[in-house]
Amino acid sequence: MELKEILKKVVANRDEWLELRYHKRTSLDIEVKNGRLREATRNILSGVAIRALVDGCWGFVSTSETSYAGLSKAVSQACKSAKEAAPLKKEKVKGLASLPAKKEKVDFARSNNQQKETSLEEKIREIRQADNLLQKAGEDIIASQVSYSEYQDEKIIVTSDGIEVEITDPKCDVGVVAYGVKDSQQERAHVSKSITGNWTELFSEKSLADLVDEAVSLLRQRLTAEHVSGGEYQVILDPALVGVLAHEAIGHTVEADFVEAGSVVQGKIGEQVASELVTLVDDGNAAGAGRTLVDDEGCQADKTIIIDKGILQNYLHNRESAFKYDTEPGGNARAFTYRDEPIIRMTNTYIMPGKSELAEMIEGVSEGFLLKGMAQGGQADSTAEFMFDVLEAYKIEEGQISHPVKGITLTGQAFEVLKSVDAVSKDFALDLGRGYCGKGQPAKVDAGGPYIRCKLMIGGQQ
Amino acid sequence: MERKKDDVLALGNEIVSEGLSRGIDDIEVYYQDVDSQEVVIEKNDLQLPKADKYKGIGVRVCKDMRIGFAATNDMETNSSKNLLDEALILAQNSPPDRNNVFPAKANLSEVKDIYDSEGAEIELNNLIEISKDFMTEIKKDDRVMVESASFSANIINNAIFTSKGISSQYQKTFFSAQALSFAREKELVSSFDIEYLASCFLQDLSIKKSAARLRDKVVASLGAEPVESFKGEILLTPFAAVSLIMRPIVFAINSENVQNGISPWKNKLTERVSSNKLTIHDDGTEAGGIGSKKFDREGVFPEKFTVIEKGILQELLYNSYTAHRAGRKSNGRAAGGAQSTPGISPGNLIVAPGKKSSKDLIKDIKKGLLVNRYSGSVDPVSGDFSGVVKGGELIVQGKRKQPVREVMISGNIYDILDQIIGISQNREDIMNYKLPYMLFSDISITGKDSLN
Repeated sequence: MELKEILKKVVANRDEWLELRYHKRTSLDIEVKNGRLREATRNILSGVAIRALVDGCWGFVSTSETSYAGLSKAVSQACKSAKEAAPLKKEKVKGLASLPAKKEKVDFARSNNQQKETSLEEKIREIRQADNLLQKAGEDIIASQVSYSEYQDEKIIVTSDGIEVEITDPKCDVGVVAYGVKDSQQERAHVSKSITGNWTELFSEKSLADLVDEAVSLLRQRLTAEHVSGGEYQVILDPALVGVLAHEAIGHTVEADFVEAGSVVQGKIGEQVASELVTLVDDGNAAGAGRTLVDDEGCQADKTIIIDKGILQNYLHNRESAFKYDTEPGGNARAFTYRDEPIIRMTNTYIMPGKSELAEMIEGVSEGFLLKGMAQGGQADSTAEFMFDVLEAYKIEEGQISHPVKGITLTGQAFEVLKSVDAVSKDFALDLGRGYCGKGQPAKVDAGGPYIRCKLMIGGQQ
Repeated sequence: MERKKDDVLALGNEIVSEGLSRGIDDIEVYYQDVDSQEVVIEKNDLQLPKADKYKGIGVRVCKDMRIGFAATNDMETNSSKNLLDEALILAQNSPPDRNNVFPAKANLSEVKDIYDSEGAEIELNNLIEISKDFMTEIKKDDRVMVESASFSANIINNAIFTSKGISSQYQKTFFSAQALSFAREKELVSSFDIEYLASCFLQDLSIKKSAARLRDKVVASLGAEPVESFKGEILLTPFAAVSLIMRPIVFAINSENVQNGISPWKNKLTERVSSNKLTIHDDGTEAGGIGSKKFDREGVFPEKFTVIEKGILQELLYNSYTAHRAGRKSNGRAAGGAQSTPGISPGNLIVAPGKKSSKDLIKDIKKGLLVNRYSGSVDPVSGDFSGVVKGGELIVQGKRKQPVREVMISGNIYDILDQIIGISQNREDIMNYKLPYMLFSDISITGKDSLN
């Protein structure tokens, strides 16, 4: 019997509400460090995720068993655990937003993948060449690292309410890290990119050699840059940092599970939370690394307008929260592997472009900074208070970019920052690097937008 | 839970034999199975009971000094032959490297107290009861909100088989509880705080004590006020020291980073790297240690050694590759599981205790901060750090004055290691770290005044 038929039979044989998701991931990882092929691995991770809804409580079991007998046993376990946990659950799941019963096959790839598939040999060779190029870029380069990851997901989702979806989802990413030294001070700089698609599409705009050049140039800026004094400044954030702000500091607060937990936007639908120049959306259909045409509950992706011209319009939902809020889910229930349950996640989250020219935005700053990309990482609370460190920064003095600076950490409350936005550029890019978001489990996401000008607290090291 | 040890042994030996018959120079088979159960709490309510059964195998081959690795958890449709094929294709496309060697067979001995046979019988309803106990205790103060919490039980079986004759298995149990919480009183909201417990023995998880401690911490940080900038002392709790101090140290003592020239301690063996108050041991076989194991990812015994002795760097962490490159033997720090090739990580990093209690260290502070949690960046390459103090308290003339907010600390980790002026006698176990409170002098503390 075909696996899909087995899943259907298991679901049909139980009275409880069930969702079965077969999820097979075939991945390839290649990493070259300092000329050494550190990693060349293939990996298959496959199994079935089972969610049962019993007495208003979920039960979740994941198993690599795919036989009818094995799955029936795992389903019984999921139902039993939900039943046992239900008495402790105070707020029961009262229902799920309905989805139209459907049978479909969906491929998330942007193109029909007609290009010739790049061979393993070629991928290893090109990554080694890029690492070699990086090592030889100058005497100030002390170490190099080029890494590439790809995976192809195949999923079959079957639910008790008539959903039968088959999904193919190819994603890949690349990272280039340059390490350098100047006057005994070490620095590192990284550039990265992630897409939904294959190797050819990943390098369609910038080649590996271009990324190496960018990393070297960025490293040299960091090696010569000066530390700055902390304080509140007018700053211009590039699309990558706008993406970080949109995703980390705003996006998480509007995920309905965080809203329920008391995030800062609870009860604020319809209120002004940002400058009227700001429109922020989450869009699983966009051609970014977070492309999710159908989510892991079998729900079609939508373009959810979170903030419309400064007014908070929507939260992000799964079927459970959408039912509770009497709205439609937008395709935001996602699970990273078969061992993870679907939870509310972003997809591609971005601020819509505006009408300003970047050059004019810079001219309008008397003392401030042009800030680009995130360095080591960032954190944000459900209060929308955030902390990000900046990869690339330039002082702006009297409307002119003067010199590179480093060691900048941004802190603040994201909605207050968005209220201070007084210019939004025409440019647009999705640029969240390798695009991994963590929320108990990873997810491939993307984020970005235009350049925005706003006020921000900067923590420096001078 | 009894494993079918013979089945695993047969599978490992079959793959090794099959590989040797194909002319592969060296083969390593790493097997792992994990039974996990977990109860998840969100927004003060039970969210999800979970269970997972994982069984996977990774095969690493070496032919003509070329390495390839393939792994799968689909044991039914991916035969050992397929795995060997995949690994060989990768090896054929890899460059030769004379340091690609697998370790020779050596004596392995059992590690004490890493398997709780009674705890291994745990069922999901036991975890539900544990989560209930936690919630009852923490909610004794109704100002406290539990953002998220989880309680988990894991039973792990590891096995390794190599063409060099290594053939061994061990079982381990791992129980953990973690919670993220805050307090709210009218308009006042505290910062988030975390409690994390982990043990190889279920009965060692002091759930109620942990809930009470988290409750007290978040309530104490209500009404936090900004402070002015100053240069003073900071006392890091063990939890804050993990992210701010220990992770950069782990990066710096990783032999791969040293060999690649990116560790700030690349030429520092036998030299001073910190204040003489700091002594760190790494023990991969400590009884009951979360990081303890019978063998590392390559089948090498994870011996105990001193990393830093009174401020002097003594030893680095090696796997077989970096050890061969350095012309020495591995000290058993190859890390990873069946789905990955060997990396490098410590066993149990243990910071030697000082003589004073953490309470007495507070009395020594003229003007400084108690840093409960650190939320910020630490660049392990340059050592630069800058971030926000969470759950901080202002200390003046040895007395705890007030909780603080919107306070940042910054500097260079490798520089401030020389500014350690106190180490507490009392220590806490956090994952595979045993850490005291650590007192630092002359730290830049940026308050609200400088941010305007």
